[in-house]
Amino acid sequence: MIKVTDLKKTYSGKIPVHALKGVSFEIPSGQFVAIMGPSGSGKSTLLHQLALLDDPTSGRILLDGLDVLTLTDRKRTEFRLRHLGYVFQEYALIPELNAIENAFLPLMLLGMKRKEFIRVSTELMGRVGLDNRLHHLISELSGGEQQRVAIARALVNKSKILFADEPCANLDTENKGIVLRLLRKLCNDLGQTILMVTHEPEQREFADRVLWFRDGRLVKEEYIAKDVREDAIHNGYRTDVSSD
Amino acid sequence: MWNDLKAAAFLFSKYVTRGNKGTVVLTVLVATLAFLQINLISGIFSGALGLIYEQTKNNYVGNIVIQPGKDQWGSSEEYITQVSELKRKINAIPGIIGCSSHYTIGSVVEYDPDKTGKDIRTISWPVKSIDPKDEMQISGLHNYMLAGQYLDESDRDQIIMGREISGGYGAMLEVQSLKGVNIGDEVTVFYHNGVTRKYTLKGIYATAFPLADMTAFVTQKEMESVLGIHDRASEITIRTDDAYPEAYYIQELRKAGVELPDIRPYQDFIGLVLGLAQTFDIIKRIVLFIGLVVAGVTIFIVIFIATVSRKKQIGIMKAIGMKESIIVASYIMLSLFYAVVGIGIGLVLLEFVATPYFIAHPLLFPVGKTSLLIIRSEVATSIICMLIVSIIAGFIPSWRVSRENIIKAIWG
Repeated sequence: MIKVTDLKKTYSGKIPVHALKGVSFEIPSGQFVAIMGPSGSGKSTLLHQLALLDDPTSGRILLDGLDVLTLTDRKRTEFRLRHLGYVFQEYALIPELNAIENAFLPLMLLGMKRKEFIRVSTELMGRVGLDNRLHHLISELSGGEQQRVAIARALVNKSKILFADEPCANLDTENKGIVLRLLRKLCNDLGQTILMVTHEPEQREFADRVLWFRDGRLVKEEYIAKDVREDAIHNGYRTDVSSD
Repeated sequence: MWNDLKAAAFLFSKYVTRGNKGTVVLTVLVATLAFLQINLISGIFSGALGLIYEQTKNNYVGNIVIQPGKDQWGSSEEYITQVSELKRKINAIPGIIGCSSHYTIGSVVEYDPDKTGKDIRTISWPVKSIDPKDEMQISGLHNYMLAGQYLDESDRDQIIMGREISGGYGAMLEVQSLKGVNIGDEVTVFYHNGVTRKYTLKGIYATAFPLADMTAFVTQKEMESVLGIHDRASEITIRTDDAYPEAYYIQELRKAGVELPDIRPYQDFIGLVLGLAQTFDIIKRIVLFIGLVVAGVTIFIVIFIATVSRKKQIGIMKAIGMKESIIVASYIMLSLFYAVVGIGIGLVLLEFVATPYFIAHPLLFPVGKTSLLIIRSEVATSIICMLIVSIIAGFIPSWRVSRENIIKAIWG
């Protein structure tokens, strides 16, 4: 459960920028939420605050009842490691590590034994369809494959919440479909809570709910009908070449 | 903690094995060169310094020198008395190889090569006396004869000279010498006590140690007739074995009843070359400092570029929950790796290339030929300094970048 209360973020400077102007909402566990809005609406800023990557100016964030903004830097780092997963727009992988090494890095940081973290991450890489690319360097993977490695890394610690910041922005149509269907599947099969920032309206149809932002404010909430979602899962971003 | 170190080691191993090989090779090369520069220059100067001390000991004053002390009014006594008895006591001490007494008196040596009085050459320098047999155990002059012969005990009108007095034979101070006295030539010595003697040059020696080569010697008996005294000495030089340091034998001398206050080790007699020794020591320190700065700055730049170019990845690592300390530790390990490999290669080159090379091709210094003298403690100091510098060079840039705000690090 995510509970956000009156969240504000102002970037100081000669002209202060009020990126978030008092945002409040709740998201129950296991929900796939798309965050939409035009550029500069504050959607990425919101994600950064929720994922504890940045400090809001004021407000409150409760993650499973824990007021995470009261945590020290060290505790926040540990909280991110144990409970949160983050998928960036530009893959954001470590180029010196191969696919599985990128995926098991959080487990290594958690102190899991090598044999165990290899087993867990291999299984997860199979779930994201990369069991035949485990030992490939990042430079040897396509954009879609890299993003799936990033998703595996974000989930490998059994994170409570997966944050995805425009995860399909740099992907072609086929790979967009693969990634969105994968996220949807994770939500359905594992009960994963997902918050995904996107600016493409078609992508919202994969979600359960949409939060619309404009000028730093939550302006509209939308629930996606089940038949629309099912249609997106089966037909969205399909190309002539089958990807599954 | 252990887990953090394992994670840092994992990242570090990947930086090395999957990072830019050219960067690794070049950085290790610079670390190697810096280490070699520090230890080669230091080794050469240590070799030269060691040579100065060795030459002083072997060709000049032996291990220990006894000189007359002060009298009851504080003035220096001119001579040691009862020398025969003293020498007997000294030679009875276990570990003393031998001793030799000398008279030293200021003089002017004159050489008139064509005996016409038109080209008279003079040099003002002390003349020393030796017992030729005793002296063999101290300075080994008999081993360094370039021309002619060593003195015999019975010689009275014979003199031997170092090449810095005789001139010729590659003397370094040729201009100040007699400019080429030949064996069999006659020289006149005007002693400061007013006595004048004519001598035939019996031998010329060269030890390659300028202080030793700036002396002329006559026999003990000849000098006693010049001075009109007997059983005295201006100094007694002593040769010991190497089982104990000089300080030990000085104590033994005192225990044996040698009560003269002025008993000193050979190190106190490097005299003219003391300044050279001090200069060498200063140069060694400067070279160590410059070498450390070069190695440190190079590693700093490499780590700085590595961290700045990986700023985004460092931000991502922090975003997924990696502690700053793990990131910093991984870069410290990387800079330590550069230093350790550089030191390792440097040590191998120093031991198996540079040292044999300089033994085969010694450097010619004013005090003689010298090769490298690798002093273990100095090498250890340079290693410790390089490791400390590399830790600092790895820590500062990685700490700065890892402290940055995650969003700024990722998006710039």
